[in-house]
Amino acid sequence: MAGIWIIAEKNEQVLELLTPAGQLAAPDGGRITVVVPEAAGNPEDCFAAGAAAVLLLAPLPGETALGAWLPVLEAEIKAADPDVVLLAATSRGKELAARLAARLETGLCSNCLSLIPGPDGSLVMERLAYGGAALQRVTVAGRPVMATIPPRTFPPAATVTGREGEVRKLPPPPPDPVRIVARKEKERSAQDITAAKTVVCVGRGVEKREDLDLARQLAAALGGELGCTRPISEELHWLPDNLCIGLSGVQVKPELYIGLGVSGQIQHLTGLRGARMICAVNRDPNAPVFAAADLGIVGDLYEVTPKLIEELKKLRG
Amino acid sequence: MPDVIACFKWVVDEAYIRKGAAGALDFSAVDYKISEYDRNALEEAVRCRDEGGGKVTALTAGGPEAAKGVKDALSRGADTAVFAGDPAFAALDSSQTAAVLAAVIRSRIPYDLIVCGEGSGDQYAQQVGPRLAENLGIPCVSYVLKINLAADGKGIVAERRVEEGIEVVEVPFPVLVTVLPEINTPRIPGVKDTLMAGKKPVVTVKKEELPALGEAKLKTLEMAAARMERNCELFGTTAEDIARLVATLQQKGVLG
Repeated sequence: MAGIWIIAEKNEQVLELLTPAGQLAAPDGGRITVVVPEAAGNPEDCFAAGAAAVLLLAPLPGETALGAWLPVLEAEIKAADPDVVLLAATSRGKELAARLAARLETGLCSNCLSLIPGPDGSLVMERLAYGGAALQRVTVAGRPVMATIPPRTFPPAATVTGREGEVRKLPPPPPDPVRIVARKEKERSAQDITAAKTVVCVGRGVEKREDLDLARQLAAALGGELGCTRPISEELHWLPDNLCIGLSGVQVKPELYIGLGVSGQIQHLTGLRGARMICAVNRDPNAPVFAAADLGIVGDLYEVTPKLIEELKKLRG
Repeated sequence: MPDVIACFKWVVDEAYIRKGAAGALDFSAVDYKISEYDRNALEEAVRCRDEGGGKVTALTAGGPEAAKGVKDALSRGADTAVFAGDPAFAALDSSQTAAVLAAVIRSRIPYDLIVCGEGSGDQYAQQVGPRLAENLGIPCVSYVLKINLAADGKGIVAERRVEEGIEVVEVPFPVLVTVLPEINTPRIPGVKDTLMAGKKPVVTVKKEELPALGEAKLKTLEMAAARMERNCELFGTTAEDIARLVATLQQKGVLG
């Protein structure tokens, strides 16, 4: 293998991508190169986790967007000719990946969930399609093989101390027509539901914004976090969008998920695939969520939730 | 007075996909629709036109059956449509779709602004927009929540969602944006809109009128039903039932 490249915005994303990169590189000692913004990257961490080289993107003037690096990355990748290029599937990462793939005239597997070397030397990758109803298995015709991988798909790579590598700063990018004129901090929840052991999720069955308190009380009784379906965050704006679970939101992997008034659209259920136990409360016995649940209560969440809270309190004494 | 192109895809309505035998997907009962995200793209293109003047062209590449989608797009407010319609365009990968759209745009459609959905409702690869921008050699702003025309009328100010919040960017024309569903609420066409759509001009472009179609860069080996089913044990709503459910949760060791 001539090598594997990783491009990510954050150090933790780099360390996660080093896991599949290490597995792909291991058989014949391929060289792993990491590209990361200087302000976010930690070359020592990268070397410990298996990278041979770290290429740093110097801080840009405030009005310059990350996409400005596109021509520099294109030139570097063409010169190095790696076999595989992996990017973290963030907003910027996904755009950068698609634009790089167009320039390199190669294929890109978006939101890739697994990469397995095929018998003929190809790389077989899996991703979801049709809103999560289908598992699509793809290969790339072209070079390099490119993929974007959602954050938290892989655990951080194992580290070995005492490793060293090459650090190099990339040449600054040419001027970019896209100019940042302002940055807004969006309302975000401080909770990280992607790491939560218990998630209580509210759906359209919750009638009023004030009723979120009921769900919060259940989450508190369980020591868990509150999440929501897409309509709650994006149409009603009752909760910030980093609590939205699903294909276009976050993926959760809790021990226990409890859906309150969640109907179970496929795009949402896709975000729960990693949950160990799924429990659903919904008035409609035909709600699709029950087919994807381990435990179900066909009933009114306004009647069931207080009883659940009471029972949990009894249990905890 | 921006001329706007809204790109859309005619896709399988995933709600009609059934799970067939041995984990295969059953498409026998499916219906088709304009990809949900692309309805937002069409709506936003029309809104930009209504704000700044100009013309909206709806553009798609697909098999002959996508003609229904062309009429649907016109009923959503576009002035005219260009349909790259050919049996060879029925199952393109992102790189091929972007190449076909770019070839059609370069040869036939003047524009200032191109609006695409953030991804398609079927494969959701989220690549056609950015790839199309690269093929045309124009800037791209993706995952956009809001578009305003720039004060000088020569570009746009767009708000795009990134992990940390929102970046407000200014870009001169020509530019391509991909839009998020939150950007607007797509209209539901009425009978009058549908009738009027039938009278709007549509240009159909065949494979032979475009440069040779390249090979797909992403090859699908298999499309299998994702396994989501679990064996749902149902409980009632009485206090005893709830107690039994909580006991089950504790027994399974998921109460932390």
